[in-house]
Amino acid sequence: MGFLAPALLAGLLAIAVPIALHLRHRDKDRPFKFPSLMFLEQLPIRTAQRRRVTDWPLLLLRVLALVLLALAFARPVFNAKAVAADGDKSRAVVVLLDRSASMGHKDVWPAAIDSARAAIASLGPKDRVGVVFFDDASEVAQRMTEDKGAATAVLAAAKPMARGTRFAPALRTARQMLLDAPYAAAEIVVVSDLQRSGTAGIAGIDLPTGVTLRAINVGALSRSNSAVRAVEAKRVTETTESGARSMLAVKARVVSRELTAPRIVQATLVVNGRDANTQTVTLPTGESTITFTPVLAPETDVTGTVRLASDALETDDSFRFVVPRDDAVKVALVVPDDTRADETLFMERALGIGRAPEIAITRVRGATIDAATLRTSNVVVLWDVLPSQSSRAALDAYMTGGGGVTVVAGRRLAGVASGTAAPGASGSTGASTSATSAAPERGAFLPAKFTGLADRLADRGGTLTGVRFEHPLFAPFRDAQDALVSARFFRYPRMDVTSDADILARFDDGLPAMVEKRVGGGRLLLLAASLDGTSSDFPLQPAYLPFLRQMVMHTSGRDATPLWRTTADNWLVSETVTDPVVRSPTDELLRPGKDSLARAVPLADAGHYALFSGTATGEARQTVAVNAPPGESDLTPVDPKELLLGVGTTEASATADAAPPTPDALERRQNAWRILLLIVALALVGETFMATRGWRAVARRYPSASSDRSQT
Amino acid sequence: MASAPAGFLDPALLARISDLALLARTVVDGFMHGQHRSLRKGSSLDFAEHRSYQPGDDLRRIDWRVYGRTDRFYIKEYEADTNASVVFALDASGSMDFGSGAVTKFDYGRFLVASLAWLTQHQGDRVGMATFTGELADVVPPSVRHLQLLLFTLGRAKPGGKSRLVEAVDQVGRLTMRTGIVVLVTDCYEEPEAFGRSIDALRMFGHDVIVFHIVDPGERDLPGDLPATYEDAESGTLLPLRPGVLRDKYKALLAAHHEALQARVSGAGADYVRVDTDKPLDAALHAYLDSRLARTRVR
Repeated sequence: MGFLAPALLAGLLAIAVPIALHLRHRDKDRPFKFPSLMFLEQLPIRTAQRRRVTDWPLLLLRVLALVLLALAFARPVFNAKAVAADGDKSRAVVVLLDRSASMGHKDVWPAAIDSARAAIASLGPKDRVGVVFFDDASEVAQRMTEDKGAATAVLAAAKPMARGTRFAPALRTARQMLLDAPYAAAEIVVVSDLQRSGTAGIAGIDLPTGVTLRAINVGALSRSNSAVRAVEAKRVTETTESGARSMLAVKARVVSRELTAPRIVQATLVVNGRDANTQTVTLPTGESTITFTPVLAPETDVTGTVRLASDALETDDSFRFVVPRDDAVKVALVVPDDTRADETLFMERALGIGRAPEIAITRVRGATIDAATLRTSNVVVLWDVLPSQSSRAALDAYMTGGGGVTVVAGRRLAGVASGTAAPGASGSTGASTSATSAAPERGAFLPAKFTGLADRLADRGGTLTGVRFEHPLFAPFRDAQDALVSARFFRYPRMDVTSDADILARFDDGLPAMVEKRVGGGRLLLLAASLDGTSSDFPLQPAYLPFLRQMVMHTSGRDATPLWRTTADNWLVSETVTDPVVRSPTDELLRPGKDSLARAVPLADAGHYALFSGTATGEARQTVAVNAPPGESDLTPVDPKELLLGVGTTEASATADAAPPTPDALERRQNAWRILLLIVALALVGETFMATRGWRAVARRYPSASSDRSQT
Repeated sequence: MASAPAGFLDPALLARISDLALLARTVVDGFMHGQHRSLRKGSSLDFAEHRSYQPGDDLRRIDWRVYGRTDRFYIKEYEADTNASVVFALDASGSMDFGSGAVTKFDYGRFLVASLAWLTQHQGDRVGMATFTGELADVVPPSVRHLQLLLFTLGRAKPGGKSRLVEAVDQVGRLTMRTGIVVLVTDCYEEPEAFGRSIDALRMFGHDVIVFHIVDPGERDLPGDLPATYEDAESGTLLPLRPGVLRDKYKALLAAHHEALQARVSGAGADYVRVDTDKPLDAALHAYLDSRLARTRVR
């Protein structure tokens, strides 16, 4: 039996009302008036008598009426028994075979296959069986069938994958398979090493009534295992007699569990497919670090692997990583000829502090930017200057191709002369003391027109408001918003922003402070908020350094590239690569956008994925290293009972009938509420009769010594 | 003294008579039937004694004959039949509105007051009345012409409210400046000592006091065995209890209270008469008349 509206069973709580009323009955109902309790109050009275139900029949009748009423509103429906009584239905079994990375243990996988085969072989001829392979996702290998041979055959195609373990998707798949097929009795057999890390999300699963869950633990008796957990790799410059050369320094973090004795193994660093360094190390139980001797690193992307001598679980003995070809972000800082050295001092120092990636600044004077500079720059920062007409085409092409440009606007672009310094001394910027005359030309490159300079010295400077903290530019400040808005800006240009640009932040007087415009694959960021130390106190604020760093990273379109990813991640390939082709570790070619959703590439296997443009030949545009989830190295199993605890059972709405039930049949199953309501009505009539007849109807004015309820 | 026919004094029968005047006359006539003493016989001016003249005495009252014999001034005093003031004080608190039989304690008290007032009026005394709860409620000053007003007021009185017997008795004592008889009709739910002190005060004013203590059999015997919640008629306090378990102890407490009351009231020089509402009125009338006869003459 089930309920169509089980939430209304909460109405059962209403039975507390008559119980409470009956318990309080003697205090409130028909008390016996007595001249004075002056003497009675002096007598010891047994308080146990104060709370006692005196009219059980009436109470039970009232409780019964309420219970039946709640059940009726919950709309009971009868179907499970009818299903169970149908003897023609066969037994259904779904075998869930774990193929996660941990199942690649040499002692585990053969046992798993044998267990699955045994589970299938134990079924009767009319029983149905389905097979599901699962890791962090599930795959139906064999739909429900009576053909045991076919079910056994699909097991041969199974092999351990470099994926994580999650029981929840597999159980949901099995549940759906059992609901889709008729069954009289059903069982889900989980063949797995029952890693504890795989039980996440299992608590929300409800299996239909009658479905039993059986776990076969095929985990290895010995759970000793060593795994490379992480790698730290960076380029270092080594100076020798012959000159400086780029070296790759690699440290590997190894985790060993349940070793009976320290393990002596060979650890090998493989760089671009060749063994670069081999060491013999001793691994104790717990964490240890292997530091490899720096090796020569090519300028290109370096694909590396740290490999330990194999143990029972080989998957986690190798760890892959990629060191980008050059992790420094190159910034071309274009400054006007009249720029004083201290104007950009704060910005240059701040950007020079960062590591991973480092930011290299190339200073360019004047407004002309040559193509060579653009080729070697990830970001162009125009410091209160506009590019010359000759450079604009190149800059437009640069941005369209994915480059980033940041324009820091100040008094020069605002068209206001400061002191004796001539704005845009080269003249190529087109800057003049007249804001209106300069505006049309500037507007062609910038997403805004300048209308003068706001002077906020009188009111101690303006602050930033309306900051769109959800924008990536402000990602470092989402949890510390006060840090950014505490900066004060004393002078800044007034801007009228064009409609094709986004205003990311404003000053507190409503003027735009930061504006962004997408240009092809790149972006242009226009800052009216000053970055020098004379027009604002921003350089003195803690937010200055993280803001500048994020500004450069965001404008360049580069995020901090991880050295590796894990399987089941998706790799969003860069839009700057035309006709992208990805070669997987199994040499399979994937074309993002055609073979996969948009430009996302599912990282299914452990190894190196290489991105090419057009054809998968030549030097890869980008390489990504993929490893199995680290949790797979922990072979600690969960108790099968604990696994069962998380899974609940519920009444199945879709049950054994192959054909959908007719409306009449559905109506008959749900008729119980009518009967219950009828009983409730009868009970209420009986309650009325009982409460108004006999001794209950007589107000007890005086408790006679011979009072007997039957008499009155 | 012959007993009155019980049929005329049975409270259950009297409860059917709505007219208090008729009720009182019925009671008194029935009660007086067969009594052959006239309270007025020989009650005219009688010589009492001589006493020495004191400055300020009325010269007309000097006995000149004695002066002629003794050459001294003596004042001649007489024993005079004076009309006494009888004030009935009826407890009208909520506790009086209780009756396990045909009449409540308040009704019984009302019958008693009406009958005694009728009797008193016909003996030539002034009658007055007051009902009280926490303080005096309906007051009829003592007068020879106030019997009908007294009966009318008595008929309209309703019981209810909390009782403060001591304060009410004090106020009753101040109702009349003349000394007289104060008849208290109450159920005496008060500490005997405190009640006794208020009687003492009345006595100090010179009043003669008769206390009719009305007791209902229901409150006397605490009948019933089933658990029940008892509610105080005055305060509304609820108390769940099993009377069958507590009866003996309760009755012992009540008996001790009654004894203490009687001892204290009698000690104060007042008459204490306990009347049960299931008994005829004659016992109360007898007690009153005995007391009245003993105190008819005042100086």
